[in-house]
Amino acid sequence: MTGPKKMIIDTDPGIDDAMAIFVALNSPEVDVIGLTTIYGNVYTTLATRNALHLLEVAGRTDIPVAEGSHVTITQGTKLRIADFVHGTDGLGNQNFPPPKGKPIKQSAAEFLVEQANLYPGEVSVVALGPLTNIALAIQLDSNFTKNVGEIVILGGAFSVNGNVNPAAEANIFGDPDAADIVFTSGANILAVGINVTHQVVMTDADRVTLSKASGKFAEYLCKILEVYFSYHREAYCTKGVYLHDPTALLAAVHPSLLTYTEGAVRVQTNGITRGMTLFYNKQKRFGEVTEWSDKPSVKVAVTVDAPKIVKLVMDRLMSS
Amino acid sequence: MANHKIEAADGVVAVDPSSSPPPQKIIIDTDPGIDDSMAIMMAFQMDSLEILGLTTVFGNVLTQDATNNALLLCEIAGCPDVPVAEGSFEPLKGGIPRVADFIHGSDGLGNTFLPPPKSKKIEKSACEFLVDKVNEYPGEVSILALGPLTNLALAVKRDSSFAKKVKRVVVLGGSFFALGNVNPAAEANIYGDPEAADILFTSGANIEVIGINITTQVKLTDDDLTDLRESGGKHAKLLSDMCKFYRDWHVKSDGVYGIFLHDPVSFVALVRPDLFKYKKGVVRVETQGICIGHTLMDQGLKKWNTSNPWTGYSPISVAWTVNVDEVHACIKKLLLFP
Repeated sequence: MTGPKKMIIDTDPGIDDAMAIFVALNSPEVDVIGLTTIYGNVYTTLATRNALHLLEVAGRTDIPVAEGSHVTITQGTKLRIADFVHGTDGLGNQNFPPPKGKPIKQSAAEFLVEQANLYPGEVSVVALGPLTNIALAIQLDSNFTKNVGEIVILGGAFSVNGNVNPAAEANIFGDPDAADIVFTSGANILAVGINVTHQVVMTDADRVTLSKASGKFAEYLCKILEVYFSYHREAYCTKGVYLHDPTALLAAVHPSLLTYTEGAVRVQTNGITRGMTLFYNKQKRFGEVTEWSDKPSVKVAVTVDAPKIVKLVMDRLMSS
Repeated sequence: MANHKIEAADGVVAVDPSSSPPPQKIIIDTDPGIDDSMAIMMAFQMDSLEILGLTTVFGNVLTQDATNNALLLCEIAGCPDVPVAEGSFEPLKGGIPRVADFIHGSDGLGNTFLPPPKSKKIEKSACEFLVDKVNEYPGEVSILALGPLTNLALAVKRDSSFAKKVKRVVVLGGSFFALGNVNPAAEANIYGDPEAADILFTSGANIEVIGINITTQVKLTDDDLTDLRESGGKHAKLLSDMCKFYRDWHVKSDGVYGIFLHDPVSFVALVRPDLFKYKKGVVRVETQGICIGHTLMDQGLKKWNTSNPWTGYSPISVAWTVNVDEVHACIKKLLLFP
C-alpha cells in the first residue's frame, strides 16, 4: 500500500469523539480527508459546530466538514441525545467560542459517495455515531458499498448487555433501521461493539499523566474530560472511562490490535429489544430459513489488546 | 436436605422411608418429545419425588400427541394412575403451533410408533390442574417446565396468587447471550409462545431458567448411547430406540455425534441445583420483529439513567455455569439404573 490510508470520520462529538479525532490527526498512518457529522452525543447542528471547532483546535481547518442528517433514516425526529454523558455542549460544558469555519455545501452522504467514487477501494469510513449518513450513502449510490474501502463501526453490544438499556448500545439504538441497512449492505464492515470497548479503559492515573503533558491535545482534553469521568463513576462505578471511539478508530489504523469473527449481523428495529445487534456465525444449521440466512458476512471484533490501545491513545494525545 | 440431594444424584431408592425427608412434590409440564421422555423416565426412577401429575403442551408435537405420549410414558413407567392434564392447543396469541417433528419424529418419540395408551387424560385442563395443586399444597409444589410456557402463563393469569404459592418453577428455555436453536435469536420453547414466557418471567414467581447455552454443554455421545443400549436399564432399550432419529438430527444441524440433553439437564437442575451456578437478573422476552422469542437478561452491571422495559420486575435465576461431568454422570446413572 502506498501512502497513508484515506479516512473519513463520521462523528457526533462528543468527548471520546474528540479524543478519536485528535488521535487520527496525529497518526501518520492515516490521512483524514473529511469529517461528516451526525446526531447522537449532541444534535447534528452542534456536532457540526464541534467538528469545526476541534479542527480549529488542531490547526487543521484544511479538512472539510460535511453536515449529516438531522433525522433518522425513517424521518424520525425523536432523537436520543446523550448530553448527560458529554455535557450539554458535547464537550464537557466548557462554552468554547463558536468556530470560524463553515461546513461544506455537500451533505455528509453526498460527500461520502463522492470520496468513495474518487478513490475506489481506498477510503476507510470510521463511523462513531448512529449510522444514518452511511445508510443514506448506500441508498444514494448503489456502488457505494463496492467503492468504499471499509466501514469501521463503533456500535452494537455482541452477547452482552447494551448501554442505553439491557438490549441496545447507544449508536445502534440511535437509528436501528439505518444500522440494519448498513450491516446487511454487503460492504466491507468491521463492527467494534461495547463488548470490546468496555475492556479499554483510561484510568484516573492515565488522566493525571495526560494532565502533566504539554501537548495541545492533552491540554485541551484535560479541560473537557471531567464530565465524562464523573458520568462513568456514577453509571458504572468505575475509576476511569471507556475509550469507545478511540478504540474503533485505532481498529481502522492498526487492525491487528483486535481479533475478529465473521458472520451476519441483524438489528432488531422494533419491540422492547429495539436496537439490539444479533450476530450469527453461520456455523450452526437451522431447520428453517432464517432472517440471517442469506445476509452477507461482516467482521465483528472479539478481543482487543487493551494495554496497547491505551498506550497508543496516550502517546498520540501527548505528542502534539 | 444434603442427604436427600445425594440420594437424588445417585438414583438410590431410600431403604427406610421413615428416615428420609418427605418427597418433593412436582408437576412436569411437557411436550414429549424424546428428551422429555428421558427426563420423565428419570423422574419416575426417583423415590425422592412425588409426581403429582403431568401437564401437556404443544412444542415437539401437537398438544393432543403430547397428551397421548404423556399417558403412554406413565404406563411404561408403571404409574398409569399419575394424572395427565391436557394443556393449551395454541400459544396465547393464537394460531397453529410450530411443531419440531423434524427433530423428534412425527410421533414425537423418534418414529417408534408405540401402541396407543389405555389410560385417559383427566377432565381438568393443565392450567386448572396447576392452579388447583398449587393451592392444595401452597409453597410445596415445584414445576418442571419443558415446553412452551402457555399453561404456566394461563395459570398466572387465572390465579393471581399462583406465582406466590408455587415453590419453584424450573424452566428449560431461552438462550442467554448465545445463539438460539430455532434461529440465531430464539430458542424453541420460548419461540413457541413468547408472550407466555414474558408473562411467566415477569410474574414474580421463584424461577430458575436453564437456557440452551447451558444444556448444550451436556451431551450423550455415540459411545454413551451404546452404553445405554447395552445396559440393563429399565427403559434403556425404549429410550435408545427413540434416540436414533434424534441423534441423526444432531449430526445434521450441529455436527454433534450424539445428542443434547436439554430436558434431562433441566430435570437435574430441579433435583440437584447445587450442580449449577446462577445469576439473578430481570429477564424479558421479545414478542415482535426478527428477534421474536429472544430472551434478554439485565445483568445489572449498569445503573440505567432512565427506566426501561426491564425496570421494576423481580429478578429470576438464570443458570450461568454447569458442572458438566457431574450432571452427565447423574443423567447416565438414572438412565442406566436397572
